Amino acid sequence: MATVTESKARFDELRLSGKVFLSNKTAVVGLAIFLVFIGDAFLVQVAPGVLGVQYPDSVVPPQFTQTNPECVGTAPEAPSFNHLFGTIQYGLSGIGCLDLLQLVMKAIRIDVAISFFIVLVGAAIGTVVGVVSGYFGRWLDEAMMRVTDVFFSVPFLILALAVGFVIGRTLVNMALALIIIWWPLYARYGRSLTLSTKEATFIESARAAGSGRLKIIFRHIMPNVLPPVLVQISLDVGTVILIFSTLAFIGFLPSNALVPELGAIASIGLDFVALGDWWPVIIPGAVITMFSLAVNLMGDGLRDVIDPRRRS
Amino acid sequence: MSDALEIRDLHVRFHTRRGLYRALNGVNLRLARGEVLGIAGESGCGKTTMGLGVMSLLPRNASYPQGQVVFDNKDLVNLPREYSERVGDRFSPKQNERILRRVSKAMAPIRGRRISMVFQEPMTSLNPVLPIGFQVGESIYVHDPAQLARRVLARSKATPELTRELVSLLAATHGDETSVRKFAAEHDLAGIEEQALFVWSRGDIHISRKEKAIRALSGQPMNFVERWIIDTVVRARSIPWYLSRIPILSRIVRRVLMREGNRKARELLTSLGIHHAERVVRMFPHELSGGMRQRVVIAIALANNPEIVIMDEPTSAVDVTVQAQILELVKRIRTSVSASFIVISHDLAVLAEVCDRIAIMYAGRIVEVAPTDEILHKPLHPYTQMLISAIPTLEGKPVEGIQGDVPDMRAVPSGCAFHPRCPFAFEKCREVIPTDLPHGSDQLVACWLYEGK
Amino acid sequence: MMIAAYGLSKFFPIRGAFRSTASLKAVDDVGLKIQNEQVVGLVGESGSGKSTVGRCLIRLLNPTDGEVLFDIPDSELAEYEKARAAAATERLDAIADRFSLLRRSSSELRPLRRLANIVFQDPYSSLNPRMRLADIISEPMLSTQFCSRAEAGIRARELLHEVGLPEFFEDRYPHELSGGQRQRVAIARAISTNPKLLILDEPTSALDVSVQAQILNLLRGLQQKYGISMLLITHNIAVVAYLAEYVYVMYAGKIMEWGDKRKVLRDPQHPYTKALMSSVPVIGETMTRTVLRGDPPNLVVPPLACRFHPRCPVAFEVCGWSADEVVEDLEYLLAGKYYGTFGDGVHVATEGDRTIVVQGTTDAQRISELVAREQEEIRSLKGIKAVDVTADATLIHLHEPIEPDMYPSTDGREVKCLLFRTGALVPAATS
Ligand SMILES: Nc1ncnc2c1ncn2[C@@H]1O[C@H](COP(=O)(O)OP(=O)(O)O)[C@@H](O)[C@H]1O
Ligand SMILES: Nc1ncnc2c1ncn2[C@@H]1O[C@H](COP(=O)(O)OP(=O)(O)O)[C@@H](O)[C@H]1O
Ligand code: SF4
Ligand code: SF4
Ligand SMILES: [Mg+2]
Ligand SMILES: [Mg+2]
Repeated sequence: MATVTESKARFDELRLSGKVFLSNKTAVVGLAIFLVFIGDAFLVQVAPGVLGVQYPDSVVPPQFTQTNPECVGTAPEAPSFNHLFGTIQYGLSGIGCLDLLQLVMKAIRIDVAISFFIVLVGAAIGTVVGVVSGYFGRWLDEAMMRVTDVFFSVPFLILALAVGFVIGRTLVNMALALIIIWWPLYARYGRSLTLSTKEATFIESARAAGSGRLKIIFRHIMPNVLPPVLVQISLDVGTVILIFSTLAFIGFLPSNALVPELGAIASIGLDFVALGDWWPVIIPGAVITMFSLAVNLMGDGLRDVIDPRRRS
Repeated sequence: MSDALEIRDLHVRFHTRRGLYRALNGVNLRLARGEVLGIAGESGCGKTTMGLGVMSLLPRNASYPQGQVVFDNKDLVNLPREYSERVGDRFSPKQNERILRRVSKAMAPIRGRRISMVFQEPMTSLNPVLPIGFQVGESIYVHDPAQLARRVLARSKATPELTRELVSLLAATHGDETSVRKFAAEHDLAGIEEQALFVWSRGDIHISRKEKAIRALSGQPMNFVERWIIDTVVRARSIPWYLSRIPILSRIVRRVLMREGNRKARELLTSLGIHHAERVVRMFPHELSGGMRQRVVIAIALANNPEIVIMDEPTSAVDVTVQAQILELVKRIRTSVSASFIVISHDLAVLAEVCDRIAIMYAGRIVEVAPTDEILHKPLHPYTQMLISAIPTLEGKPVEGIQGDVPDMRAVPSGCAFHPRCPFAFEKCREVIPTDLPHGSDQLVACWLYEGK
Repeated sequence: MMIAAYGLSKFFPIRGAFRSTASLKAVDDVGLKIQNEQVVGLVGESGSGKSTVGRCLIRLLNPTDGEVLFDIPDSELAEYEKARAAAATERLDAIADRFSLLRRSSSELRPLRRLANIVFQDPYSSLNPRMRLADIISEPMLSTQFCSRAEAGIRARELLHEVGLPEFFEDRYPHELSGGQRQRVAIARAISTNPKLLILDEPTSALDVSVQAQILNLLRGLQQKYGISMLLITHNIAVVAYLAEYVYVMYAGKIMEWGDKRKVLRDPQHPYTKALMSSVPVIGETMTRTVLRGDPPNLVVPPLACRFHPRCPVAFEVCGWSADEVVEDLEYLLAGKYYGTFGDGVHVATEGDRTIVVQGTTDAQRISELVAREQEEIRSLKGIKAVDVTADATLIHLHEPIEPDMYPSTDGREVKCLLFRTGALVPAATS
């Protein structure tokens, strides 16, 4: 009987979390869009053929010019039944007939993966730093906070650009640049969460029980700091994708890199705007915006779930 | 004499995501005029809900499926109950909020003026960024501005001769209230009596100083605009719309009346035993100690000479020595003002000191009501008995806890809600809710053990 | 002796203070002893420093000053006290090195944590919301290497049973429990390593009386079964009356009185204890009580000498009246109550620490008279030693305050009140 009531209690909590999340209609919409993006990224990774996608890592298939010489110099085509998102030409005198829908599907995988990578790594570094400095306090805390101050006082786009030009402009370096500007945010957040958790009596109680500092950090502080950090991560993935593609758009990625990335694609499309071709810019831009919005809406819903006031 | 307040079969439910909390399940209670009634019970039994329910101050997720709160022949919870009856299970907090706004309007002449409440958390009921004097003054300004205007008007009309007469009257009658009131009425000086009596009753200053202070109540200077404002407010018994809506004029009205509000605040605080009230009115809540804050909150509750004062846990946030101060204060004010009091506390010993009668609450119902002595010395209800035997004493007598926990108000036990914890429970207890059975002349007990006795 | 503290002080530095030297003297020169298997109560109003004492005793806080000896044989303790009285530093150090908790490094402290534990007031924040009860209860056993993980799991279940909770609670989380149940878990955790000493910091203050009674009975049962020494910190004197044998009364960071519980509660000696006892509402008794005026003092600038003197109904000449305190009351008297006699134009001000100048009157006679008349009511006037006149003003001289010590009273009790000082400068008969 005991285990029955047990699992029921656990289930009730879950059901309540579900209820809270589902009662936020916009969050549900966000979740749905998010799942579409994730599904796309997943399929492109494991079975690109299902979506008709070839060569997921590159904008242009290798030897494309040899197999399709008629595509060289072809002007972009507007969205039609054959090409739902239209086609684009890669480079002004480059290869045409590239289906934008396919490109976008490839790019989503790269963008989603990279932005998750940036946020997760940044959050991991930042949270550890924040928790450690918040817990130990004194000079360590002081030093950490001054370091993060430096990062906060420089506009992050400029910082990212500077980092990029120092370490070289590639996709991975771009991610590294963003991690470097992103971890201080988490350090701050992790620190403030730690400071409030540290005051809780159960920490003192753990000290009275003879638990060492590491144990207190990992058994007591971390589990209480992580849920809000996870919510923050879900909110930040949307922001990072925006910044990331903005950087690509303004030319952080060299145009010969051939990386299918939404910002880079939009940046290619920019060349055609003057000719009245809107879709190469608007569609990738809209996709980025949609993802960012969806993730934000979902994050709001998650925040409700962990907010005890919303649960009542 | 009729009752000051009567609560009939009051039900209150809270609609939350976690479920439906049946906080009150048929409360019946009468508050006689001039009486101090105590409400005791474990936390979560619905004491605060009852207090807030009487004032219609419950949050928007509360519904009133049944019951009445009768005050001055009016049912105070009429509107929300009708709404709850109409929608039944389809209760929506959003719609209820609209109803509550109407209720607030209807309650305006009563809430804070004829019935006032001292809330459980003294810190949250004071605004942290406003000085104390302002907050006490404003509570009068909002609820009864005419009172302030009368006081100013009386001072402006009083001549030095009249105040000298007043001094000799006070000296001759040793501060007799009725004769001072008569004097004020005869000389058309309504509003002066409370000011004079206040000065006279002060224990901390010398008689010659009192005389000087009372004589200073004459000839309040006023300019033409002020006089017109004061006259208008006194005649209208409230602030007419044209004084409260016209931009610059309303500022002046507010300034004139709030100045008087501050003066009254000083009087109130002094009479509640706060020394240097003129300094305290300029302080902010965080600068006061817990005991002082509680006095300020009590001052606000008493500011408009209400008929009923509800005090929710007035001493729970303070230490014993300060609790003793507050208890002495409550004992004193109950003799000096004509209000009836409902005092809520989880501590029976506190109630025992100040109350005439005590009601014991369990799971949203009153299970026993009786005069204080009866409750303490011959409690009838098993819950009351066990509650009393759980209280540790200074003699260190053995205490007995009540086994089990307070019930989950989402699933109140059937029949007598106490039956899962009651050692005397029998079949009927599990099935039928006990009715209030009278015992002796003035004791009511809701327990089947006393059926037919 | 289970634990003995001498001259324990804890000053909290005040951040953002104008002078960084300012500190809050939360605990000041506190001495306290708990015998093996004894329950000792520590009572006082909130803010009087009870929790700080409890924390310093088991070094959850490092005291600013003082000594804490833990689990010391009575013979050694007697030796230590002798050395202390003789101020023999070397011998003191020799004993303290072995028994002092304050001289232990944090790694030496860990095994000692098995022997002492604490239960906090708030059962809602003292259990980690993200841990299962089994893990909460096991934590002290694992952290102090009391037993293996597997044994800890078994023992956690036994302990749940011991504190009256069903064993299947081991998989629950704290939020699924009521306040009383959580406090039982906190107790189970605290006794998991078979400690010899338990600090109970307001263990029942957040609970309803009906639940409080359950917890008190549980504690009493455990105490009798295992012979645990307990320090019961509470503001509820009746709780102490129920559980403790000895009681310490604390006020504003100082111990005011200690002794056998029955004696202290039934026949309090210290004026503060008397007032405290008379403040407690007792069912079925209507008593005349001593209502203390005012509030507990500011501990950053505590009152001179006896910290209770501003509120003490029998404070007298040397209890610590400062010139400022006397000025405030004199001003009120001359300008308020005796306004009729002195009229406007009297001005009272301090001149140095121990002298007051009254401008605007040279009527020393009248002032002496009213001081004599009012001093029973307005105790600060007792601090006035002499009234002098100069050409245009009156000079008032004050008594030198005396810092009170712990003085022995009847029944082996000790009281920190100058009334109990043998050979007092001013006879206690004045009050
Ligand atoms: N705003 C609210 N929303 C939901 N439930 C509430 C609310 N206020 C009170 N309750 C519930 O109503 C019951 C009675 O609460 P309350 O009147 O505060 O008890 P008491 O004052 O006797 O401690 C409790 O079970 C509580 O959980
Ligand atoms: N960590 C701290 N920092 C600063 N002041 C503190 C700290 N802990 C307690 N105090 C202060 O010390 C005084 C005594 O506190 P405490 O020991 O908690 O009293 P009690 O337990 O008797 O209520 C209080 O004035 C409190 O504000
Ligand atoms: S009605 Fe029954 S269960 Fe309820 S208190 Fe009386 S005897 Fe107990
Ligand atoms: S020393 Fe004694 S008499 Fe003097 S103030 Fe302190 S408690 Fe009162
Ligand atoms: Mg309440
Ligand atoms: Mg404390």
